[in-house]
Amino acid sequence: METYILTIILAETLILFIITLVLFYSLHKISQLKKHEEGLIEEKNKQKDFVPMLVHELRAPLSVIHGASDLLLKEVRNLTAEQIETLLSQIRASSSSMLKMVGDILDVSKMDIGKFEVNITYSNINNVLQEECGYFQSLAKIKGISLDLQVDNNISNSSFDPERIKQVLNNLLSNALKFTPEGGRILVLSKRIGQEIHIEVVDSGNGVPNSEKNLLFQKFSQIKGNNHSKERGTGLGLYISKGIIEAHGGHIWVEDNKPNGAKFVFTLPLL
Amino acid sequence: MPKKILFVEDDDNFYNVFSVPLKMKGYDVVHVADGSAAMEKVISEKPDLVLLDIILPGTSGLDILKEIKENQDTKNTKVVMLTNFGNDENINKAMEYGADDYLMKYNVVPSELPEKIGIYLGDTSGSGVKVTE
Repeated sequence: METYILTIILAETLILFIITLVLFYSLHKISQLKKHEEGLIEEKNKQKDFVPMLVHELRAPLSVIHGASDLLLKEVRNLTAEQIETLLSQIRASSSSMLKMVGDILDVSKMDIGKFEVNITYSNINNVLQEECGYFQSLAKIKGISLDLQVDNNISNSSFDPERIKQVLNNLLSNALKFTPEGGRILVLSKRIGQEIHIEVVDSGNGVPNSEKNLLFQKFSQIKGNNHSKERGTGLGLYISKGIIEAHGGHIWVEDNKPNGAKFVFTLPLL
Repeated sequence: MPKKILFVEDDDNFYNVFSVPLKMKGYDVVHVADGSAAMEKVISEKPDLVLLDIILPGTSGLDILKEIKENQDTKNTKVVMLTNFGNDENINKAMEYGADDYLMKYNVVPSELPEKIGIYLGDTSGSGVKVTE
């Protein structure tokens, strides 16, 4: 009799346990679905904001191109050679900025449908870093920011897409320049750690708040450095950078740079 | 003595293009890119007119406008907003704070800019039109 009662109690406990488990699993699933739904709504909202933002971002260089060409047509006889050169330079700079925006949108659309590919060649990452940093050094100088490069000479040639890695560096260095105040410092480092190359872009700006670190590499995300800052862009640069690095089998993330600033790190496998 | 314009604009490309016709017209153009340094420049340079963008690093153009118009020493300085943000909220605020005009960047070509702001400098019959999006 006692064995019978014990068996019933055990069976009831087991049933109760299973019911609890099923309930817990269902609640977990519902919560997951809710989160997924919230994510979809958030994504939709971001996409809705994207078009007016893109229109605004395209208008700025377009105003310059339209204005400079109009001035050249109307006033070419009255302009000095130096003024003509300035206007032509502005047309080139603004059209380059628009081309970059169009390229970014194309990259994102390829990433979204899984058609994004990298063109792997055998190159040395330190040469790529030197080239990109050389370009940004002149821009940093204008802003009164020092930009230094420290390379690890133990890094030999490896397999990666130099043009796409330049694109990642361009995004990271542009952000570092935007968010580093005059008199600040940007440091770019290459390190060999085991079978990986680590590239760090370290700045002395305001850094990235913890609440934004995970969101930063999502599509349309923006670094909220300064509420009034015009330096906003399309919010695609870091999302594309993540896509490029992951297409190489690497990782990208952001850390705090003590005592102030941000440290963006990406890895590439040494292949 | 040429009239002085303080051009508050953080987009160097835009400034480099749109300042050309102003200089050609003989205006003395002073440039400041940082919003937080703009008010200091208004006080030290005593411009006849301020061309003011809205989205600026440091301090927004609307805050600068409010400060200019509330300061006894600078309240008579003409201020023309020159921006790509044409929403009603910004336009209404700018007018409430005392902006003399509100121009949309994409609706103005550089060669027309001297005429558009000339009316506030007593030079030409500028448009004086408040442009909305």
